[in-house]
Amino acid sequence: MLRMEIALILVLCFIAFFYYTAEKPATPLHQIFSLLLGTVIVHLVFDGTTIYTVNRLDTVPQALNDGLHRLFLGTMVLVLYLFFRYITRLISDETGRSHRLFLPAILFLILAEIGVLLLPISYVRTPDGNYSDGPVVGVCYAGVAFYLILCLGAFIAGRRSLGKKQKLAIGAALLIEFTVCSLQGLNHTWLISGMGITLMTFSFYLTLENPEILRAELTEQKMSMLYLKSQVNPHFLYNTLDTIRIQAQLNGDTAVADMLMRLVDFFRLSVKVDRQMVPLDDEIEMIEAYLDLMCCRYPDLHCHFDIDPDLGGEPVPNFILQPLVENSLLHGLKNKGYRGELTITAARGGNSTLIITISDTGGGFSPGRREYVDNLLANYASETPVTRSIGVLNVQKRIKLLCGRDYGLCYLDNENGGLTARLTLPLEEVSL
Amino acid sequence: MKKLRVLLVDDEIIIREGFRKLFDWEAHGCEVVGEAADGMEALSRIDELKPDIAVMDINIPIMNGLKVIQLSRIRHPDMAFIIVSGYDDFSYCREALRMKITDYILKPVDYEEFGTCIDNLKIARFLNQTETAPTSPEEPLPETRQTISRMTRFMQEHLAEEISLTVLADTFHLSAQYISQLFKNEIGVNFLAYLTSIRMEKARQLLLSTSLPVADIAERAGYADYRVFTKVFKKNEGITPSQYRREFLRKD
Repeated sequence: MLRMEIALILVLCFIAFFYYTAEKPATPLHQIFSLLLGTVIVHLVFDGTTIYTVNRLDTVPQALNDGLHRLFLGTMVLVLYLFFRYITRLISDETGRSHRLFLPAILFLILAEIGVLLLPISYVRTPDGNYSDGPVVGVCYAGVAFYLILCLGAFIAGRRSLGKKQKLAIGAALLIEFTVCSLQGLNHTWLISGMGITLMTFSFYLTLENPEILRAELTEQKMSMLYLKSQVNPHFLYNTLDTIRIQAQLNGDTAVADMLMRLVDFFRLSVKVDRQMVPLDDEIEMIEAYLDLMCCRYPDLHCHFDIDPDLGGEPVPNFILQPLVENSLLHGLKNKGYRGELTITAARGGNSTLIITISDTGGGFSPGRREYVDNLLANYASETPVTRSIGVLNVQKRIKLLCGRDYGLCYLDNENGGLTARLTLPLEEVSL
Repeated sequence: MKKLRVLLVDDEIIIREGFRKLFDWEAHGCEVVGEAADGMEALSRIDELKPDIAVMDINIPIMNGLKVIQLSRIRHPDMAFIIVSGYDDFSYCREALRMKITDYILKPVDYEEFGTCIDNLKIARFLNQTETAPTSPEEPLPETRQTISRMTRFMQEHLAEEISLTVLADTFHLSAQYISQLFKNEIGVNFLAYLTSIRMEKARQLLLSTSLPVADIAERAGYADYRVFTKVFKKNEGITPSQYRREFLRKD
């Protein structure tokens, strides 16, 4: 029997290693399981030690044997209590209601632990092996039965709200423990309680607590955080802006209503952050809305578009034009008091490419800047973004990542001053 | 022509008020007969008022707009539904299209675009009537109906050319003013709206059945400048011509 206990300890240590090193969300459920796993291992150690000592009653001092048995039985009640906590937590996570028998359970735990420490203990010698007996063992059996019945009750009461996997895990665990307890009750020398507890832990680990599932839970949690950050706020903003726009129009202020309309258009198109690639026309429409608003603010700014109408459906990486247009405005045309022109073109290039250019009539690169930007764009992979050029670097990185290394961004000088940002992207030929 | 009766369904009062006051219902031969702020109210209003058109938001309390359409369809099969929604999600569009709604437009609502949508609805009704009208010799179509049918056929055949009221007046030996009135009375939309509508129809058909460049299609549909064509198309369909082509080709 000792060999089985050693094997069980090894298996559980193995599981514990995976469990404790896995990245997991810090929910009460997982905290209870961590505690449970630790306690089970400690319990098994005492289990193994007592199996050794109980069969050497003549050589091992009585006090040591008693102490080890009390610890073994005490941790057993604690383990069962933790199982009860784990199962009820699982159920209350699903139903949203906390369990009513929480207080009796913890009171019983305290009483049982006191009983285990103080009540007299005796040993029965049989040819098949020895086992402990007396009121202490009675308390322990009562504890096991008490918590198992509570678990069963909670399981039956909450079965409707549990998922398939949770039902399977709890059902299997309870079935195992009932079977093992009955066998142990019928034949006292078998000493298989440790195996029952290990298998119970194992059934939860396999179904609900393994690293894969924990990682998935964590990802889901992170995703929903991201979702909250990026989706809800823009939607709220854009719905509210639309309401304000209608109110402005109802009040007869068409100019404000028109500007708000453009702002709403801009938001509507930029809310689609979940898509990596968008049709070129969507990207252009967003830039048009953006530039319309800029032109309202700076009447001497003029914008021209020359987009090949057949390329409007081409997929391009989401949000690559806006950072470049913003650069042209802030670093090129701003120095000229926002007086000048911005031209955006999209046309077919050689070798199935789509060429998009953004040219301005601004001041061009300041001395030394050209080398810096060229170097940045050439070594996009190793460069760490500096605040000033983060936009350009991001555009370059995303194109390389989404379209391939053959495509990307470069800057050219215009003949009559100013700069042209030139994007080379793949062209997806559609055949009819 | 009888005015079309409209029910407005949106949970935001300002949006309903905007529709009521900012869109020229009179000019489009419509009148707003009622409003509803949630799904249940919409259902009971539809039963009670029997409107010709319901302008519906999808995301409304108690019961969503698509459900309302589904339930109302059973009792009012001839009713037209125009969905006005902030969800520019294609799955919603697809579900809506399956329910044979008349049109789907996105918030923020451009009232001009909404007008086009109403016009298209009337044109569809007109075409439906001419197709199903009895052509028995004992009961010939009224004179005005026959005239307008001849004119629309002429327009259809000369789409690539420049068509104006003057051209029609010269061809049919009628005054331009009379023809203009005829369109208003018989179809319920003005001449230009009708012309744009059939040009768009032609363009859609060419986009899906040929591989002609957009600029050529624009020309065949009667637009010398493809930029103008693209703008008009986008106003009508919500997406640009090349996006339209790609969207439909991908689906097949």
